[in-house]
Amino acid sequence: MSKKVKKRLITILLSSLVLIIATLLITMNLKDNIIYFYSPTELQGASIDKKNIIRVGGLVKEDSYEYNDKTKIYSFIITDNSNDVDVEFVGIMPNLFAENKGVVVEGLAIDKKKITAIKVLAKHDENYMPPEVIEALKKEGQWQEK
Amino acid sequence: MNLGNVGNILMLVCLLASLIQSTQLLPKKIDIDYKIFSRLPFYSSLLAFILLIYIFVDSNFNYQLVVNNSHSEKPLIYKIAGAWGNHEGSLLLWILVLTIFNFIFSYSKIEHADFKKNVIAFQSLMIFGFTLFLLLTSNPFTPTETIVSEGLGLNPVLQDLLLAIHPPILYVGYVGYSLVLSFAIGGMITNKVDKEWAQWIHPWVLTAWIFLTLGIGLGSFWAYYELGWGGYWFWDPVENASLMPWLAGTALFHCVIILEKKNILQSWTILLSILTFSLSLIGTFLVRSGILNSVHTFASDPARGLFILIFLAIILIISFTLYAFKGPLLDNKSEMNLVSKESSILANNWLLLSTLFVVFLGTLYPLGTDLFLQKSTSVGPNYYILSLLPIIVLLLFFMIIGPNAKWQSDKISSIILSTNKLFILSLAIIFGFSIYFDELHLTQITLLTLCLTLILVSIKDGLRVNHNYTIIKPSLGKSLAHIGFGLLILSVVANATFAQEKIFQAKVSDILILDDQKFRFDSVEQNKGKNYNSIIATFHLMDNKTILETFKPEIRVYSNPPTVTSETSIIRKFLTDIYVVMNIPENSDFVNVRIHIKPLISFIWLSIILMVIGGMSAIVFRIKLKK
Repeated sequence: MSKKVKKRLITILLSSLVLIIATLLITMNLKDNIIYFYSPTELQGASIDKKNIIRVGGLVKEDSYEYNDKTKIYSFIITDNSNDVDVEFVGIMPNLFAENKGVVVEGLAIDKKKITAIKVLAKHDENYMPPEVIEALKKEGQWQEK
Repeated sequence: MNLGNVGNILMLVCLLASLIQSTQLLPKKIDIDYKIFSRLPFYSSLLAFILLIYIFVDSNFNYQLVVNNSHSEKPLIYKIAGAWGNHEGSLLLWILVLTIFNFIFSYSKIEHADFKKNVIAFQSLMIFGFTLFLLLTSNPFTPTETIVSEGLGLNPVLQDLLLAIHPPILYVGYVGYSLVLSFAIGGMITNKVDKEWAQWIHPWVLTAWIFLTLGIGLGSFWAYYELGWGGYWFWDPVENASLMPWLAGTALFHCVIILEKKNILQSWTILLSILTFSLSLIGTFLVRSGILNSVHTFASDPARGLFILIFLAIILIISFTLYAFKGPLLDNKSEMNLVSKESSILANNWLLLSTLFVVFLGTLYPLGTDLFLQKSTSVGPNYYILSLLPIIVLLLFFMIIGPNAKWQSDKISSIILSTNKLFILSLAIIFGFSIYFDELHLTQITLLTLCLTLILVSIKDGLRVNHNYTIIKPSLGKSLAHIGFGLLILSVVANATFAQEKIFQAKVSDILILDDQKFRFDSVEQNKGKNYNSIIATFHLMDNKTILETFKPEIRVYSNPPTVTSETSIIRKFLTDIYVVMNIPENSDFVNVRIHIKPLISFIWLSIILMVIGGMSAIVFRIKLKK
């Protein structure tokens, strides 16, 4: 092997090694930071790590929205009309939050029926329905096209 | 005559003229005058665009697009902006910008006639493709089926001056890279990818880069004050889509510099040209058509998404087929020295592409899980931060040593010698800060020190050549842009470290305390705006009994379409922004207030301005030097 070829071979080997390690690290990092979306029904069947942030979406159930003045906790129920999930949240509720409207919350599951929200995702438009929510309602046969 | 028909005819003219022009790509050339057929599409699409603005200003509800996106009571400026604030109109704008670039290029003084012809022909082919797309799937001049007397309005969040001018600027950036791709194709066909080619392409690459940088900056600035979330970058697919071509374009630009100086890396430069425009395409249209945001929108209008994918595939097939034949032949067989300016630029090329890879993976991963696993996912910001950290550290390192290394070959010791004093100075400053604030981690110290070193080195770099009048000019732009980048990362890190926010539930006359600052909630009043009703609260930043600053955050209730928005109130100081946003929960007797104290935010905007000015001065001085 000539010197030039040897030099090139080493460069190629080294750079591919770096590339492989970098790709591995990045994909492992990606795996840790993926946020899964569940409808209330899907949540019942899912195996959930309580340390991982998840998203849950559906409709805000009628007469479920409450605010506790002392604890400063908002609570409401997300439903897909088959299953319900209780949500507790401390923070600012988005402007367009309302009962019977679509909502997506991001937070930690306490169990399969309860979630502590870190974010209640803001939506810009009153008639906007998060696509995940539409899909979730469709799966449960609860979606009506307007 | 019906205005819509006029628009359709204009676009047909554009379609046919560009088709005729693009036949020049065929091996057997028909002799036509390129001046006519490269400029006609520009005139016709300009007229069509003016026509579209006219029917928006006129609130002509005979057209579906006006009905869907406008309202007769909307302020004039947003009626105009409404013309491109939607898929169809923005596609017309995209075509217009494509033709503008072709138009301007047709006047260029490049003497290589065959090369010029091919560039214009390929650019025309793209104009043809997009015009076909417009006419078949997204015609802005489609009449309504029934008689409509009023429009649905434009989303109020989008009724903002900055957002109105932001897409055209971004588009000039994206589309600028189309001409770069045409250069690459033309260069490959005519076997003309060399120093001279790099000289020709240089100002175009730079122009696109300037506009893209400015566009991203404006978008980020808009998100900061309009969305009311307190942040300026959310790693949202839409934002990432504009960042990806920027990263590739930045790498490309640096390669062009090497090619111009050393006549090496021909095939790599071509590859980056193809990559950059492909990413621009993916960026704009996959977002516009909703594919990136959600696969479900894709399903609702498959024709639109499919067309873009086919178009992208055609461009990639043409480019790579050409590349497969010509690419390997382009390269100069000269070895590169490991310690040299070009090798450190190349190292940064790889780092920029690694950044691109990270962003690409994070942006498209949710699409993958949705398509193949039927599972909705999103990727958290931590993925980006953790993955990009080591890359940014290396990137800064090479930006510090690169400009100080010599072309061809240099000694490591001399590079270290030229930067080590400034490095030690920066380290001492940051260390001092760290002791003073008592909360910096090792990563923060590393990043801040490298940023500061980069800024100082770049300043010195700009000043040093000051004595030699002829050399200072082109490198001033580089220095400014590099100072800008160092300042950007520095401010981002500092902001992430020292920013504070707190949420309050407040009633009138409450005092809210954040970081030793007292905010008094003084009043709430109702107000009527032009096309909305609003609730305005007044907060005062107090020092004992004196009022220091007044904040008036606002909630606006629009009726067309029915929407509620929170308007932020921001007091901008030299070093720190104070940012107040509020909303009122249903059936409650208090308001929710979120107060942010955000240091160095202004420096983020300043750093982007520096990069843009850097790019501009590089172009200006280049033109001057030629003369």
